[in-house]
Amino acid sequence: MSIRARKIPVLIRFALHHSRVLQIAVIIGFWALGEGLVRRFDLPVPGGIIGMVLVLALLASGVISPLSMRRGAYWLLAEMLLFFVPAVMAVLDHHEFVGLLGLKLLAVIVIGTGLVMGGTALTVDLCYRWQVRHALH
Amino acid sequence: MPFTEATALAVFWSAATIVFYIGARTLHRLRPCWWLSPLIVTPTALLILALTLHTGYRDYIRGTHWLVALLGPVTVAFALPIYEQRALIRRQWPVLLIGVLVGSGIAMTTAWALASVLGLSDSLRLSLMPRSVTTPFAMAVSSDIGGLPDLTALFVVLTGVCGAALGDAMLKWLPLRSSLARGALFGMGAHGAGVAKAHQIGSEEGSIAGLVMVLAGLFNVLVAPLLSYCLRAFA
Repeated sequence: MSIRARKIPVLIRFALHHSRVLQIAVIIGFWALGEGLVRRFDLPVPGGIIGMVLVLALLASGVISPLSMRRGAYWLLAEMLLFFVPAVMAVLDHHEFVGLLGLKLLAVIVIGTGLVMGGTALTVDLCYRWQVRHALH
Repeated sequence: MPFTEATALAVFWSAATIVFYIGARTLHRLRPCWWLSPLIVTPTALLILALTLHTGYRDYIRGTHWLVALLGPVTVAFALPIYEQRALIRRQWPVLLIGVLVGSGIAMTTAWALASVLGLSDSLRLSLMPRSVTTPFAMAVSSDIGGLPDLTALFVVLTGVCGAALGDAMLKWLPLRSSLARGALFGMGAHGAGVAKAHQIGSEEGSIAGLVMVLAGLFNVLVAPLLSYCLRAFA
């Protein structure tokens, strides 16, 4: 193999490690692969989850480096709001939310969220204290 | 011609969504107070524009559903933070697991119970149940259990806003000693908005909140088929 031919994988890796657009393309590729697998085997989970598990497996086994996806992945996560804002516009079709029904929905969300936050935090804190106490003895 | 008109509408609403989002993000960077968060400003501005132009949701989403489809790759992207937090997972997995289990359980049962008490319709109740996990996961759970994913996205956003606003008061009232509990409070209760808030308190709280958010989403999606089976059995 000539030196130039051997350089090609190195060049690809360099490009992948430095281009956010390429990394996003790779992530979209994994998502498409996940969707394909879900359709092929009729799996009960979304394709994105299968893609995520595949990426996790490849990262954990050292086949791919986190550097080849890191910038693209954190960009997608940081701009996530843009991708779900269109769905929020569904409220346009729900004029009935203006009024008592809207207040009821808000009540469910506010009370529920308060209980979730309090319940989760107290449970975790209790577990943490239990763990600390048992680590000492 | 109908084709070009549809294309023009799609381009217009996609551009409006992206421009408003970038504008809201810039505004928040200049004036970082909670009610100017892009989470509130972007949908509000778009709603005002849609209402003034008399555009319905069907026309709006026809041109912008490609943005929602990108939530699939966002789900894949969650692999990175999970992988990079593997040391934290290895050290604290029992506590994290219990927190996610308890938090998801409370979220689902309170949504179910409160919606029943207030006499909300079945589809609203099912759309409310997954509202405590981050949007891509919540929408997947919602369609799995028979809710309306678009409404779930709306409830998820409201939950995030409300959780981020409640969080400070909760921290003051609850006798929490560990950063683990403070992080879990925000990650479980207010997903993305909560993680941002937790990062303001401390980097450890921030990482824990992010991890709890992802694990809760993953857990909910994985139990959704079972949950939908149970819901159908009891209905």
